[in-house]
Amino acid sequence: MNWTEDDEVDSADWIWCWMTLAISLLIVAQALEDGIAQFRRGEFESARKSLSTVQPSPLRDVFLAISEVNTGHCADAEPKLRVRYEVPELRRLAGSALLQCLTLLGRMEEALPLAEKLGREFPRDPDVLYQSARLHMQAFNDTVARLFEHAPASYRVNQLSGEILDVQARPAEAAQEYRKAIAKNPAAINLHYRLGRALLVTGQFDEARREFETELKRNPEDALAEFQIAQIDAAQQKPTAAEHYERALQLRPGFVEAMVALARLRPASAIELLEEAVKLAPAHESARYGLMVAYRNAGRLADAQTQKAELDRLRKPPEGEFTEFLKRLGEPSKP
Amino acid sequence: MRLLWAALVLAQWTETRFPHVLPNGGEKTKKWILETTGSGIAVFDYDNDGLPDVFFVAGDGAPSRLYRNLGGTKFADGPAFPRVGWGQGACAGDLDNDGFTDLIVTYWGEPSIYFNQRGRSFREQRLPQKGTRYNSGCALLDYDRDGDLDLFIANYLEFDFATTPPPGANPYCFYRGLPVNCGPRGLPFARNALYRNDGKGRFTDVSAASRIAEPDQNYALTPIVTDADNDGWPDIYVACDQTPSLLYLNRRDGTFSEEGLLRGVALDENGRALSGMGVTAGDYDRDGHIDIFRTNFSDERVTLYRNRGDGAYEESTAAARLGLQTRYVGWGTALLDFDNDGWLDLIQVNGHVFPESGAYRQRALAYRNESGRFRAAEAPELPHSSRGLAVADFDNDGSLEVVVNHQNEAPSIWKNKAAGNWLRVVAPIGARVRVTAGGIMRVDEVRAGGSYLSQHDTRLHFGLGKATKVERLEVRWPDGQVDTIPVAGVNREVRVANAPSLPRGGSR
Repeated sequence: MNWTEDDEVDSADWIWCWMTLAISLLIVAQALEDGIAQFRRGEFESARKSLSTVQPSPLRDVFLAISEVNTGHCADAEPKLRVRYEVPELRRLAGSALLQCLTLLGRMEEALPLAEKLGREFPRDPDVLYQSARLHMQAFNDTVARLFEHAPASYRVNQLSGEILDVQARPAEAAQEYRKAIAKNPAAINLHYRLGRALLVTGQFDEARREFETELKRNPEDALAEFQIAQIDAAQQKPTAAEHYERALQLRPGFVEAMVALARLRPASAIELLEEAVKLAPAHESARYGLMVAYRNAGRLADAQTQKAELDRLRKPPEGEFTEFLKRLGEPSKP
Repeated sequence: MRLLWAALVLAQWTETRFPHVLPNGGEKTKKWILETTGSGIAVFDYDNDGLPDVFFVAGDGAPSRLYRNLGGTKFADGPAFPRVGWGQGACAGDLDNDGFTDLIVTYWGEPSIYFNQRGRSFREQRLPQKGTRYNSGCALLDYDRDGDLDLFIANYLEFDFATTPPPGANPYCFYRGLPVNCGPRGLPFARNALYRNDGKGRFTDVSAASRIAEPDQNYALTPIVTDADNDGWPDIYVACDQTPSLLYLNRRDGTFSEEGLLRGVALDENGRALSGMGVTAGDYDRDGHIDIFRTNFSDERVTLYRNRGDGAYEESTAAARLGLQTRYVGWGTALLDFDNDGWLDLIQVNGHVFPESGAYRQRALAYRNESGRFRAAEAPELPHSSRGLAVADFDNDGSLEVVVNHQNEAPSIWKNKAAGNWLRVVAPIGARVRVTAGGIMRVDEVRAGGSYLSQHDTRLHFGLGKATKVERLEVRWPDGQVDTIPVAGVNREVRVANAPSLPRGGSR
């Protein structure tokens, strides 16, 4: 090939251009790497700044958007998250961050269906579950505030207070609130049941049983109240326990907990009951365990081993933390 | 040295205190889980004078202490144990077959083996371990039937001051909204260990080869050795915190298989893993099979597993009228016949792990066994945050006493006075003893390890009630051979250990 002077100038320009491009690419690659490293260290503001200088790509977008969410720039993050939510391998990550965003923005009407959808797709994912929990907590808080504001004298306020105290493991105070609710509305259903539960937790078995019986007088089809009476009788070794479990099952034929408990009292029909329970609720560990023991006791060791394998599978810890996945996203792929 | 007598006299128990407070982390708050789990007790006769002595393990800040039994529940300081560290559990047995009982103390860090120097002092030797392990309870057993005691050490979890988060750092570091020390959840699991004895007290780690180290998802605390499947070979049950408890069945070939779940002793009857702390074993229903009782955390029922006799267990907590009291965090425990009526009664000590909980000190619980059903009985009323518990007839008067190691308080001894006849049998560790009196057969095993990180006196105590004659005393030796031993009467001690004059095999 013959080279002219102009050719040489053009070639030099061309080389310069390539070098500039290569250096630019290196700078961009470095910025992306820096941004991801900052993200992984939890330096979200620095990550946001670094990543915003980088050319858009699926990886950059998702790290940038989550950095934006974590630094209060949800409005900037949302469009990117919506786009990347459609990419299957980024769906869980983008969806979880989008849910966080919508919750922060108070857009419950959009957040609730998204949480439901993510929950169906990723039922054991800790980040999805965490964001869903935060969302529902926010929705709960908003609703409670409205109830207390608009109907402070309603028995519902006492009922809800009691239920919150129950959750906080303060059963004695919960019982007081339920009693106030009953005084305001003696005909309301479920209050005596709630009171019975609170009394049960504090070891007042006889008083609790009376409340469950009162609940049944108001609502004779309350399978849960029947079940609680059965539980008390079983704990006290009373022969009436089985009858109450059976009655609970008549009222609610798919009542798995009642099947499991009844199986313990009716060894002859344990396998039949527990096979039905496992059919209705395959992931019910208590039913699986009961069935394993029932098979073992009947000498059906192969069947017991099958149930044990199922139990082992159910008890296996959920797949790795979502954040581990997040970390791996920024790491070079292994050969 | 006289004990400090507390002004508490009960119908069944009289509580007195040892003179030294053994430290175990913070009293108002505890930053690390390591401060919550200690410590145990070992009862053993180190000077062969026929009186059981008592060793209390201490946490960091002061050495553990051995008290020499002077008789009449009076004690004096025994030989010193200078090591200071996070002591956890203790177990004792004659490791080098020299006729004197040696001692093992577990630590966060390498365990100490204390070789008994003919009842005068102890020579310490560390058991080498890779890394810093959180050794919890220990137990001795002759798993390979070679005539010496091998060593099982439970391992709680991986703990490192540098990497363990501080209180309140994550959801596993809260208790009812209070920031507390982190764990066990959130901290890495560890594996249990088995060390084979060469007969001279030299140990080789056989954890992998024996398959003891296979389970890796358990927070193991207290082991107890029992022949769970009645095949004459020692098996190991381990109470585990917040995770399924373990049952290692001896396969008679130097290996074990972990079968807790299928055998029915890993979970409660609802299939839930509870927070197992302490464990004891005994035939509470007098059906000839050794059952297992486990203490758990508060808001959980204690768990009684009835041995069906076919190598499987079923939970019998409710049937035995236990589990109604769930307020306390249970630790050391024993099935013991404290009233000598021939039925094994039950005792457990309690105490919260979090001083911040407001319920740090809790009362002990005692239950009288009434034909296989337990009824709440009087127990010492002073609340403590107790951990280790061990049982012995310290004054050799035929009534069992209980010693308890507390957190941040001097240990207690509960003196007991029982009517009823009795028989004490001294047999080697691993022996199973059957005593028939008044037409009723009682069975027990000689164990090193159990309760909570502790060891009861290895001399077996049988309450005989009104029986005035022992019809039969049968010993199944650790090698599987069975002998019957003549007994002249009741209310006496029968020594069948170290009896070379007795030919093995068959009755005589």
